[in-house]
Amino acid sequence: MSPAGLSLHQVAIRGRLSPLSLELPTGLVVGVVGPNGSGKSTLLAVAAGLSPGEGRERNEVRWQGDRAAGLPALERGRRAAWTPAEARFEFGFTVRSVVAQGRYAHGDDERGVDDLLARLDLRALADRPVDRLSGGERQRVLLARALATGAPLQLWDEPLAPLDPRHALEVLALAREHARAGGLVVFSLHDLRLAGGLDRLVLLEGGCLRAAGAPAKVLTPERVRAVFGVEARIEPGLSLSLP
Amino acid sequence: MRVERRGPTGKALADGSLWLAGGLLALLAAAALVSGEVPFTPARLRAAIAGEDELAATILWQIRLPRLLVAALVGAGLASSGLVMQAYFRNHLASPGLLGVSSGGAAGAVIAIAAGAASLSLWFLPLAAIAGAFLATAAVLGLARGGVGTERLLLAGVALNALLGAVTSHVLTSHASLYERNGQILFWLLGGLEDRTWEHVVVAAPIAALAALLWPLGRPMDLLSLGVDEARSLGVDVRRLRWAMVGLSTLLTALATAVAGTVGFVGLVVPHVLRLLVGPEHRRLVPLSLVGGAAFVVGCDLLGRSAGGLRLGVVTALVGAPYFLWLLRRTER
Repeated sequence: MSPAGLSLHQVAIRGRLSPLSLELPTGLVVGVVGPNGSGKSTLLAVAAGLSPGEGRERNEVRWQGDRAAGLPALERGRRAAWTPAEARFEFGFTVRSVVAQGRYAHGDDERGVDDLLARLDLRALADRPVDRLSGGERQRVLLARALATGAPLQLWDEPLAPLDPRHALEVLALAREHARAGGLVVFSLHDLRLAGGLDRLVLLEGGCLRAAGAPAKVLTPERVRAVFGVEARIEPGLSLSLP
Repeated sequence: MRVERRGPTGKALADGSLWLAGGLLALLAAAALVSGEVPFTPARLRAAIAGEDELAATILWQIRLPRLLVAALVGAGLASSGLVMQAYFRNHLASPGLLGVSSGGAAGAVIAIAAGAASLSLWFLPLAAIAGAFLATAAVLGLARGGVGTERLLLAGVALNALLGAVTSHVLTSHASLYERNGQILFWLLGGLEDRTWEHVVVAAPIAALAALLWPLGRPMDLLSLGVDEARSLGVDVRRLRWAMVGLSTLLTALATAVAGTVGFVGLVVPHVLRLLVGPEHRRLVPLSLVGGAAFVVGCDLLGRSAGGLRLGVVTALVGAPYFLWLLRRTER
């Protein structure tokens, strides 16, 4: 049996995330859902090895079976990529050079960069300074950089929030492609209708893990009412797809 | 298909920029060597180099060349130090002068002089400057902890500059009877290059070695300047990089301050102008800030000398302060 793409063992951040364990196999696109302040960003940052925890409560995070904390810095860059929910760029690097930063851990500058610029509709912006982009454009730059790392584990914090429907669907398509190629994509989102179409869901509430598994099992009408305070009804409505 | 990286003019400028800066530095250096109270004609310069004209030779080898070298090293040190601080704090306005690191170095130097330690060994003064600069850096890091906002950073610098200025003033007044020492102390505070000798060149020489250590940090500095967590997740050893950046930038400023006193605005203006010209990539900015910083200070010193003996710190302030105010206005928008 191949090791899980991501496994968390009793990880916790005081005041934000109660101890939880989670094991996610590779080849999936996994959504992290929950109301505001439920710990989605914290969970993703912990999974990315960015919050090692304090003292004895060291968080045990494993990527492809190996302890993340034990890996050398460059190897960490090659194993897992993380993007923040909101990007602020203080310096005017060009879009292309920021995407090329994803190749840092590999020591090259080019590989896959042109392709990703095209896939994320950034070709026309390639020479623009990143501090003069809209929120959605910045988000696509971050995602392109994360994918440029070639890291099998991709952890994205609300990647779709600032994107228009077309770009959101394209990012979703890229996520599926990455998963099919043997990667694991875990990202947080608020759109429960979209979440219903993912491979797995992780539901958080108040820093606690409420449920994890297939979307239909996680997002039952009762649970949606209890956690989100909204009524869930399944009915045909507006559905969007790439042409 | 490869997409063109940048416009043809931008590319040419960026690729030829180091040559351009180097050429400028060479030109200014040549001007600094031949001009002064005793201007050199080409014939006299030749005689000075050949050793045929003893007075000219003394002026060239014992006065102008050491002064030129100290100016170049100070400029390279301060400009690259400012560049590193800006990447560290992810803020265009961070620089050794504004953050109080220069004042820390000067306070250390002044205390060493006042205590009489500086006259015991050539190395006491720079060591004291280094200690003072590191104390100031530690204070800024503590005050600006977590926050890289312009306001917080600059306020921390204001407080620190005021405090260190007070320390220096106190040392100054409590040694008021010692005219000779006071002259020295004033020299460090105003920043200048008068009477620089080969001893000062030796003290400032490690700047060149430290600059070499900065070389490979360009790429990771790019990543860090766009976010700490982002850089870490991309494979940068953030802890090590930040220690290296803090250590190198503080040492560079300390050594520059130890030989020329507090020379303001170099670390702010030079990296910023270069960023406007060639973009924010540190792989390019590290060498450029070294050469450009040297050219800037050599040029400012030349300007001050030909304006009838304005001190270096005064000239850099005259050039830098308006630029800083303009920058502040632009940043606010």
